[in-house]
Amino acid sequence: MTALRPARSPSRPSRRRAPWSLAPAAALVGFLGIALVAPQVLATHDPFALDYAAALQPPSLAHWFGTDESGRDLYSRVVFGTRESLAIGLGAAAVGLAGAIVLGALAALGPRPVAAAVDRLLEVLFAFPALLLALLLIAIAGPSALTQILAVGVGTAPGYARMVRGQILAAKNSGYVQAAVALGHTRWRILRAHVLPNALRPLVAVFALSVGQSIVWASSLSFLGLGVAPPSPEWGALLDAGRTYIVQAGWLVVIPGLVIVALALTATTLGRHLQAGLERGEK
Amino acid sequence: MRQRPRTTLPLALGLTSMIALSGCAAGSASSSSGERVEGGTIVYAHQQEPPCVFGGWIEQAYLSYQVLDNLVSLDEDGEVVPWLAEEWSASEDGLTWTFTLQEGVQFTDGTPVDAEAIAYNFDYWVAGGNSTAQVWLQDYYESANAVDERTVEIHLKAPYPRLADNLTQGYFGIQSQHALETRSDEENCAAPIGSGAFTVEHWTRGQNITLVRNDEYTSWPANAEHTGPAYVERIDWRFVPDGTTRVAALQSGEVDAVYDVPAVQWQSVEDGGFELHRYITPGRPQQLSFDTKEGPFTDQLVRQAFAYSLDREEIVGTIGHGVIPWEGNGGVSQATPGYSEKAAGWYSYDPDRANELLDEAGWTERNSDGVRLKDGEPLKVVLPYGAGSILNADGAAILQGVKEQASEVGFDVELVPVPQSELFAGAYSTPEERDFEVGYWTSVTAGILYINWRPSTEEAPNYNNGAFYDDPELAAIILEANSTADVEAQNALYAKAQEYIAERALAIGLYDRLSTLAVDPSLRGVWQEHAQGGPTFYDAHFVQ
Repeated sequence: MTALRPARSPSRPSRRRAPWSLAPAAALVGFLGIALVAPQVLATHDPFALDYAAALQPPSLAHWFGTDESGRDLYSRVVFGTRESLAIGLGAAAVGLAGAIVLGALAALGPRPVAAAVDRLLEVLFAFPALLLALLLIAIAGPSALTQILAVGVGTAPGYARMVRGQILAAKNSGYVQAAVALGHTRWRILRAHVLPNALRPLVAVFALSVGQSIVWASSLSFLGLGVAPPSPEWGALLDAGRTYIVQAGWLVVIPGLVIVALALTATTLGRHLQAGLERGEK
Repeated sequence: MRQRPRTTLPLALGLTSMIALSGCAAGSASSSSGERVEGGTIVYAHQQEPPCVFGGWIEQAYLSYQVLDNLVSLDEDGEVVPWLAEEWSASEDGLTWTFTLQEGVQFTDGTPVDAEAIAYNFDYWVAGGNSTAQVWLQDYYESANAVDERTVEIHLKAPYPRLADNLTQGYFGIQSQHALETRSDEENCAAPIGSGAFTVEHWTRGQNITLVRNDEYTSWPANAEHTGPAYVERIDWRFVPDGTTRVAALQSGEVDAVYDVPAVQWQSVEDGGFELHRYITPGRPQQLSFDTKEGPFTDQLVRQAFAYSLDREEIVGTIGHGVIPWEGNGGVSQATPGYSEKAAGWYSYDPDRANELLDEAGWTERNSDGVRLKDGEPLKVVLPYGAGSILNADGAAILQGVKEQASEVGFDVELVPVPQSELFAGAYSTPEERDFEVGYWTSVTAGILYINWRPSTEEAPNYNNGAFYDDPELAAIILEANSTADVEAQNALYAKAQEYIAERALAIGLYDRLSTLAVDPSLRGVWQEHAQGGPTFYDAHFVQ
């Protein structure tokens, strides 16, 4: 995304020590990276193999995260679920933000009739609960991981679009833009060098937050039978499947839940750090 | 006095808004002396919300059973007993049934429950007023006429000796003719007018239906435990789709009774001092019908191989925690009169046999995933199922076991959870779209076989023939059974039909569908009606 490139700065930012919170975040990213590329390296069991004799076992040395109702190893399922979960989380966040940038930019910068039309459209979309928008899309396209990515992305786009519009308008009316106009810079240059970088920078953190949120959203859709097909170990689906056993086997919900939280925290931490880096880079 | 233990639910960080968590401290167990309390509101949490109160789905029958009376009722011994009809008989040729009605019964709109209204209801069902009543009656029903105010005659095209048994099901609830004729479809959908113990007061879609006592009630069934109006004043019939949430609501004292206790929670609910009811649904069990028209299952060897690849007893035993019975019979469940043990035991777990059969059928190669191939085509089969509507969470987990075990011999089973709205709109209903049909159909007799296996013809397509198996030989056996008056001879014929289905592996059983209830000890007198297992609140009352 070119818009996210930091504006050129006269001097290099002073090197600062990475905050402590980065270490676990980096560790998790490393772990998920391996799980993404070669889950069989990390998994201890076949994530789909049934072992009815070992059903609903609590976490132990043999099964680090315990087993589910069919005796499948939850840890291995979480590892194997990384690919689909991240694809949904990152994919949906990307779709949501891309849609938001287009709509938000049109609403803020487009010719008046276009901006007004986009504004009204956003208002209409706002009137729908985001989940309803997602449901509508799934009803048309049928449930699958790809539909889930699009559905969650489309469902979240209007909210972010409003944010983008606000940011662009704020940048557009700022002193430095007025100064650039006074200096006779071209419209395009002002937009590229000043408005967009300043308006879109906060979205880095938003994107990071939205990854975790998208996974939780996807789990809501799984709950309604609109998610990925079983027995996929996608984390939202794990969370959903564990609901029935929440009393007798709480780990089936708590552990996938913690994994999603850990991912969301990691994404946020990295996002914040990245954003801070971008801001420092600008000074 | 039993003390309910304190249940602590693990806190799950509030990750999804759907997971209703209640750190539920159970209320103190009722120290009831058993003395009946007059009135009160029963708060009942049910799983599924139907589109209308009255209709052809069991979820509708459960509701309409509270509001409408039937001609006859089924008692706990499976005997047909009087309800609106105090007596009935069939003519010698079996073609005319005569029902004599109770005197002086009125619908809640003030019109009389007379022979004319009964005849009108028969015509209404057959014309599509109730889709299930329609498929039961359409090939047998000729006409109905009122002989006098209290006598109605039903004329059949062919003898149907178990007609009265079928009329005990909720699909045959009698409605006010006046209401059906003068009110809009929406009104009759949301609040049908019958002569039942309760009337519909209000329906908040997505939330609950409130039923209020009919104080003028005079027409209780002969197998009820008391006479006169219902004891409680109101029923707050709530819709709570998630089983864990329902049980948590019961344990926290928020509701008085719940439907469909998840198998894994059965023991803890029992240990908590709640009264549990379990009804094994007669009729079609939760079964897999194979698509015999398109795809790999047109080959009998492949169907049989699939049946041999499954250890259904192990799957259902584990997921069902001893509460859900496994079922081998693909025709009817073990609770159905005329059930064939032989058909049920036709296929046991035998992966070697399954592999042999697949080799014999020409599926000899395997790809890198272990999926068998024939002429380069993988042995992929599509298994759509009504998630949350036809199958609950336990059923969905059982299907995952089916998929995994079948994969061992080289099947690639694609599970497709289909939302209720899509399913009822006809998704995955053609031979091209799917390779299995999974589902149940409640019925008090094995006559359900006719509905599920009647051959489709151009003039009379049978959308309930999930195997798409149009076989006159099988149909002839079932038709002969339908019209056989002697119960033993009839059951022998129905058993023969089940064995015919088993031998050709047209359908195999998975497990028996249950209707379960858990009731707070402060509420007594709740029973499951015997035709379909729905909750009956007419005799229910709170105790001190």
